Amino acid sequence: MLDHAQLALEALFEPVRLLALFGGMLVGMVFGMLPGLGGVAAVSILLPFIYYLDDFSGLAMLLGAVSVVYTSDTITSVLIGAPGSPASAPTAIEGHALAKQGQAARALGVGFLASMVGGLSGAVILAVAIPVAGPIVLMLGTPELFMFAVVGLFFAASMIGKDLARGLAAACLGVFLGVVGPASAAADFRFTFGQVYLLDGFSLSIVALGLFGVAEAISMLSCGGGISHIPVKVSRWGEGFSDFWTHRWLILRSSIIGVFGGFVPAVGASASTWVAYGHAIRSAKDKSKFGKGEIRGIAASEGANNATVIADLVPTLLFSVPGGPAAAIFLGALFSFGYYPGPRMISQNPDLMFLIIWSVALASIVGAAMCFLVTPVLAKLTRIPFGIIAAPLILIMVIGAYQSTSTIGDIFLLFGLGALGWLMKHAEWPRAPALVGFVLAGPMEQYFWLANQIHGWSWLLRPGVLIIASFKSVFDFHPYFFANETSITFLGVPLGFDLSYLIFIFLSGKIKFKIIFAYCSIERSLPVPILSIVCLNRFFIK
Amino acid sequence: MKNQIKSMSVAVALVGLCAAPLAAQDNYFAGKTIDVIVPFGPGGATFVSAKFLEPFLEKHLPGNPQLNVIDRPGGGSILGANWFEQNAKSDGTTILFTTSSTANPFVLGQQGVEYKLADYRVAYSHPFSAVAYVSPSTGIKSASDIKDSIKPLVYGGIAAAASDLPGLLSFEVLGVDVKSVLGFNGRGPVRLAFEQGEVNIDYQFTPVYLTQVVPSVEEGRAVPLWTGGSIDGDGKLTQRDPIAPELPSVYEVYKEMNGMAPEGIEWEAFQGVASVTYAYGLTAYMKPDTPQAVLDIFEQAIKDINADPEFQAESLKVTNGARLNAGPATEAAIKSALSPSADVKAYLKDLLSNKFGVKF
Repeated sequence: MLDHAQLALEALFEPVRLLALFGGMLVGMVFGMLPGLGGVAAVSILLPFIYYLDDFSGLAMLLGAVSVVYTSDTITSVLIGAPGSPASAPTAIEGHALAKQGQAARALGVGFLASMVGGLSGAVILAVAIPVAGPIVLMLGTPELFMFAVVGLFFAASMIGKDLARGLAAACLGVFLGVVGPASAAADFRFTFGQVYLLDGFSLSIVALGLFGVAEAISMLSCGGGISHIPVKVSRWGEGFSDFWTHRWLILRSSIIGVFGGFVPAVGASASTWVAYGHAIRSAKDKSKFGKGEIRGIAASEGANNATVIADLVPTLLFSVPGGPAAAIFLGALFSFGYYPGPRMISQNPDLMFLIIWSVALASIVGAAMCFLVTPVLAKLTRIPFGIIAAPLILIMVIGAYQSTSTIGDIFLLFGLGALGWLMKHAEWPRAPALVGFVLAGPMEQYFWLANQIHGWSWLLRPGVLIIASFKSVFDFHPYFFANETSITFLGVPLGFDLSYLIFIFLSGKIKFKIIFAYCSIERSLPVPILSIVCLNRFFIK
Repeated sequence: MKNQIKSMSVAVALVGLCAAPLAAQDNYFAGKTIDVIVPFGPGGATFVSAKFLEPFLEKHLPGNPQLNVIDRPGGGSILGANWFEQNAKSDGTTILFTTSSTANPFVLGQQGVEYKLADYRVAYSHPFSAVAYVSPSTGIKSASDIKDSIKPLVYGGIAAAASDLPGLLSFEVLGVDVKSVLGFNGRGPVRLAFEQGEVNIDYQFTPVYLTQVVPSVEEGRAVPLWTGGSIDGDGKLTQRDPIAPELPSVYEVYKEMNGMAPEGIEWEAFQGVASVTYAYGLTAYMKPDTPQAVLDIFEQAIKDINADPEFQAESLKVTNGARLNAGPATEAAIKSALSPSADVKAYLKDLLSNKFGVKF
């Protein structure tokens, strides 16, 4: 084991391979910073070039890009308020609010360091967990995957803004956007109105760019201000470092959330970022600053999104089932180098496994350092009046959107959604749940359909489904009953006994009692997801 | 209309090109990019096969073009094929590389099919067998135990009228009671569901079987049952599959169970559908107005690839040594299989709409 690790490290330190890794990182940084373009775009652009290299160099190049995208996207999210990639929308909300208060350096510092920790956790998990991750992935059947998607959606709907009803309505809007196009279970189309453009459905990067990027640009132009009312100075990193240390456990927990998001096929970085963000809100004593510039929000979401893209490689390498879109392209690259991932991969190609781990670890650290270096230069851009940089910025967003299908429809959709996002922003309707609803609409529908066909309704009582349903901070219907009982904490999560315990026991008579008991004692927000499943079922039954 | 004019003008231009001397063909694809459209997600057998063939086609096609394998999943492969119908170029630089998932909905005249597959030209095909296997939790130890499962059999698939059809028909032929769950988005997720125990009987195409399922068989987590079989001299699927010769064919399993050769409409339907699916497995189609010269170029390239020792070695690793097919005989066989008898068509439509709720 260890000698394979050492051999792989030596292999990676060959000049050509290091160069390939850094080349990939540069591309990843640029794509991370360009609003809306994320890991998928970076990896697709690099794909044709890797075939000029040997297998290890080519794969290192792709991994370099994947590992850095979710670090450098913090820069755009904080300085401009448009998410650098779809998965950094929470960073855009909190980070940009901090930048407006003149605390950009603090937000960026925490963001970079959290991303680094996320990437490193992903690498450690790859190294340690691959032998044990198989059973975890296999525990998640279609009902569990469906429940994950539902919980993710509720996290998103409940976390921002005070009005839960608006959050839910926005989430439904997102789901509605997500069902446009092909049905997942039959050769059928929905809401396409005979338009060829709609046959493929909407692309994630356009929805994210429209609702956040274009909407922010319109709103800044319409109030005539700059990105920041006072020019952003990025000089004092010290505060960021001390914030990072204060929130180290939160970041670690978020990374673990991100890693689990990566294990689950089809629940990508966008969803697990929101789950981690929701966790940050739930575990904070003072929740008033969320949405207005809260450093914990950045720490959690940046820790999670980087961990997810790395952990996406776990199902990819174990089962050839890509955990996310960038991992899907990486899988294609593995195939074309003659590696066929599967249960034997770890024993047959240990060198390759460790090369992947080292590449990810190295890229995470060096990537964060590079981001610290370039940010002071980029921050000067914010001193330019926004009117002047708005034009090239919108042009970049149009180019980003146009990558989806390269038809004029992309541009119409971008500005249509931009207008919608701007209206939502001014009416104080949260846009984040809409984005998450869009992302999760497909997996939710598909897994619901499969779960019901395979298990009938009995899947509602599977232990995995119940445990996932009770994941924290979905909603708190009853925080007032037990709010003061949380004196004991576990990794900073308040523990308590409550109502959900009783419901849990009631629902799971047949299931192993002790596990439920142990689990319930740290959980307290079950009823709502269960009720929601019941409602959803009613809704879906024909 | 615009598209038609455009493609007609391209065709006219190409007819001009073809008239040019043979020498021009030496570098026909020089500096060009060929898009290989795979109407499934990455990770499935079709995608793996397209990526597997990519370097060999790049090497042996004249002018060494760059190949791009593009996945366009959706609608059980119908969407990708419709996209091909609307957008493909007729100069050999756009290829639809697909399975019977695309052919069956066309044959059955399913709703939503816009592509005219029987008119398409066939550039090459890659034969692919499929292996059926069950979970040991069913208590089944070999093919002849199939009716003695101690648990209800659950099969996972993509869409009844797609590449799952031969598998579903084999259950009909053998009279096995299987619950079919359709709506997965690829065979990769189905395999995962098998490992998770959500489905307990599955078919996988050979390359995936060899790389992913054989390890499970060795660990005792899967029991291989049978293959679709391969064609004898009369075009009947009676022979064992050379790719997995240790396993019986569906024909043999039926004979062993019933003491007589299979017959009747179920067998005829299985025979027709399965021979398109397995014997011609993955087929590369081009637009109908693609010039013959381009097809000749591909025929030659396929011959060269089959003779390439590097290909033979790689192919042995991935498919137990399957060779590619190309040329007029292959094209004729595929085209005739795309138009089955009226009886078989009626039986298939009836089965699909009554048992699997497919809308026609």
